[in-house]
Amino acid sequence: MSSTRHVVQDENDPKLGHYSDPPLLVLSSLSSGPKHGHAMIEDIEQMCGTHLGPGTLYGAIARLEALGLIEPLPQEERRQPYRLTEQGVHVLRARLATLDRFVAAGMGRLEAL
Amino acid sequence: MNKAVACLLIRLYPRKWRDRYELEFEALLEDERGGLWAMVNVAWSALYERVSPAQGGMMDQNSQTFRMIVKQPSAFLPLAMSVGALAVLFVAAVYSFAHSGHGLVREADEGAAAHLWQILMAGQLPVLAVFVFKWLPRAPRQTLYILAVQAGAILAAMAPVYFLNL
Repeated sequence: MSSTRHVVQDENDPKLGHYSDPPLLVLSSLSSGPKHGHAMIEDIEQMCGTHLGPGTLYGAIARLEALGLIEPLPQEERRQPYRLTEQGVHVLRARLATLDRFVAAGMGRLEAL
Repeated sequence: MNKAVACLLIRLYPRKWRDRYELEFEALLEDERGGLWAMVNVAWSALYERVSPAQGGMMDQNSQTFRMIVKQPSAFLPLAMSVGALAVLFVAAVYSFAHSGHGLVREADEGAAAHLWQILMAGQLPVLAVFVFKWLPRAPRQTLYILAVQAGAILAAMAPVYFLNL
């Protein structure tokens, strides 16, 4: 799954600034505690305005689980909650630190314009 | 999303993926407000999964699915009914021994215990049929494991009747 990236047409586009990297969004969502799929979709939408499709979400979940970055918890009825593994926390921290440097550099360049 | 549409869309995924994620994904699709966009998203994701499958991790482990299925009423009710039938025989034997000094023997009037045993054993057949019809196509391997346990419980409940010629 590549992404659900939207093409921004103009600066008034309500989707402006939406971030869409499904695995990173899932990791970020789970950083506030275990969640099942539907809760993740809602949390991500609240966090950054991106509504992940169910297929996109589970594409990310399957890959993150395969990489050992998230793990399933006991099921709650038919819903399957997931949580971050220790390795997942480490990877998320590293990704966010990279993004932080990227944002700082980008903002600095914008200010120089 | 409509359950039938959700099931149809999930069928687009590879079997290995479905064995691991089908039940929880179906629950998610039923919760989703859906629409055409969600259907296209799932169909596209299924196609992508066929081209570039997620590998390793939990994909080969079906323990979650097994635990999930065994919690279904149609899975554990037949087991409980067989255990109940066995318990009925045990209680009847203890009662008979306490009152007449001997265990269970065959009698012309079968009595309440025999009728209860028959109801429990016959009553689980439709539940078993529902279980097979519902779960065998979705998760064949796990369903067969559970069916084997159910068959063992049925045999255990029938064994005293057969060996004691009740």
